[in-house]
Amino acid sequence: MINKNESSLFNFIQEHAAIGTWEYDIKLATLQWSSETKKIHDVSPDYKPDVDSGLSFYKAGQDRDTITQLFTDCINKHANFDTELQIVTATGHDKWVRSIGMPIIENNKCIKVQGLFQDIDEKTKITKTLALKEQHLRKTFESALVGMAIIDLKGNWIDINQSLCNTFGYTKEEFKKYSLKELTHPEDIKIGYKSMIDMINGNLEDFEAEKRYIGKNGQTISAIIYTSIIRDDDGKPLHIVAQINDRTQIKKSNSEVVQLLETTEYQNKRLLNFAQIVSHNLRSHYSNLDMLLDILKIDRPESTKNEIFPLIKEAVTHLGETLENLNEVATINLKKDLKTESLNLLDHFNKALSSISALIIESKTTLIVDIDKTLSVKAIPAYLDSILLNFLTNAIRYKKQNEPAKIEIKTETEDNFVILIIKDYGQGIDLKKHSKKLFGMYKTFHKHEESRGLGLFITKNQVEAIGGKIKVESTVNEYTTFYTYLKKHE
Amino acid sequence: MNKVNIACIIDDDPIFIFGAKRMMEISNFCNSFMIFKNGHEAITKLKTKILEGLDIPEIILLDINMPIMDGWEFLEEFSKIEFHKKITIYIVSSSIDPVDIRRAKRYENVSNYLIKPISVNALKNILKEI
Repeated sequence: MINKNESSLFNFIQEHAAIGTWEYDIKLATLQWSSETKKIHDVSPDYKPDVDSGLSFYKAGQDRDTITQLFTDCINKHANFDTELQIVTATGHDKWVRSIGMPIIENNKCIKVQGLFQDIDEKTKITKTLALKEQHLRKTFESALVGMAIIDLKGNWIDINQSLCNTFGYTKEEFKKYSLKELTHPEDIKIGYKSMIDMINGNLEDFEAEKRYIGKNGQTISAIIYTSIIRDDDGKPLHIVAQINDRTQIKKSNSEVVQLLETTEYQNKRLLNFAQIVSHNLRSHYSNLDMLLDILKIDRPESTKNEIFPLIKEAVTHLGETLENLNEVATINLKKDLKTESLNLLDHFNKALSSISALIIESKTTLIVDIDKTLSVKAIPAYLDSILLNFLTNAIRYKKQNEPAKIEIKTETEDNFVILIIKDYGQGIDLKKHSKKLFGMYKTFHKHEESRGLGLFITKNQVEAIGGKIKVESTVNEYTTFYTYLKKHE
Repeated sequence: MNKVNIACIIDDDPIFIFGAKRMMEISNFCNSFMIFKNGHEAITKLKTKILEGLDIPEIILLDINMPIMDGWEFLEEFSKIEFHKKITIYIVSSSIDPVDIRRAKRYENVSNYLIKPISVNALKNILKEI
């Protein structure tokens, strides 16, 4: 028997440790719960449990099956149990409990089962949450795309993630055989050394550095490392966390970009040379040919009165035009800093129109012009004139064969663009066939004697050089509409 | 229409010289020619002629791209010489590079920039201008 003092101590312990007791008498088939045990179950102090109701508090399923089995084994096999399970209390709350059971044996027969019953809900929930958090952190660490390592203060690995192993080409086991120093590029071993000492001495919290490492196949790995130190509550350093960000690919791409840029600049210089060759050398041969033909015609008129001479003259003239076009193309592509100015669209349109007035009258072309006279665009005068002239002459040139050309010109605005819309009711262009090469060099779409092909190519280049773009719509034998977007002058 | 007494051609291209001379003959441009193959030859011989008191040309057709001394260098040297009469210089080049055309405008001595090939009409226009 326990005396009164012991009994009150016992109650004190039960209450404050949240531990209750229970006892099952097999002979009498009675189950006794201490007041703390009842409290844990959220039942009133006068509640009278029995085995069935006692077990039924355990959560249906695994928890209840487990306790039933343990309880049965305790009686039949005389086995102690100590388990952590969940119950549903009388007020419907889920609660983690620790249940301990011990058989009392008399004559090799179990006569009673005594046990402890402890409320471990708060503790368990915290532990489980922590475990879950740890698991999340672990997964984050493990699956991070950045190589990560936790290192102790002596430089030994505490943990490394998969990404780091992938960067180096090692398995985790292989990786851990080497020290960080052994994996570092010999020339870079000293990088970050001082920062590391400062960090351990408490003078620095983290640092960033560019450092090279050596991978499994001897390859150099260019990385940016971010290192920080983890301290305990007293500020004593515990370990170091390092992120190793593989920049090898980026570095490689960077150097490729630089190389590409160099190539482009070189090509540009060559293009400039080419333009000069076209402009000076080739043209001088052409001009000599042309001049000699003129002299021949004056000095030896009889030698030109055959069918070959006019053909030679024509070929030489075409050669001259081609050289001029080529030169124009080369110079457009070379101009870097184009100085655009504000130009009134209608003024320049009228200027272009007057320069081809003879052609318009001769071809009996009908023009319907509706250009907003207040509109100004940002352009280079020579380009704008050339663009307008090219679209107009094209529209006249590719008219329907048996009727004079009819052209409609109007303007619209959209965002910061002025759209010049030139619609001709001419031959049209089969865009399904030609759309890709419409603005290509030396492409023509009509069997027209004056077809050059360079016109649209140059026009497109000029429009793009001043920040615009061209769209086209067309139906064969009906119409062609060019939408030229030019930067609006505000 | 005035006829030029002496016309000077400074060019390294024999075909151009042949053609230009013939064009000048056809258009009755001048009484005589003075031909130099590059800027250096032209500047040296012109200086000598001035010293010796000989006739110098009234008009010069000057090419740009030439060996030894090109057209630009010739213009620099030319501007340092004092002449007792006016000499009109036309740049005649096969270059259609706007950079060259703009550069030519910067020289006071240069009257105009003609793009090759030159024609009888172009020569007649020059005669009208001077």
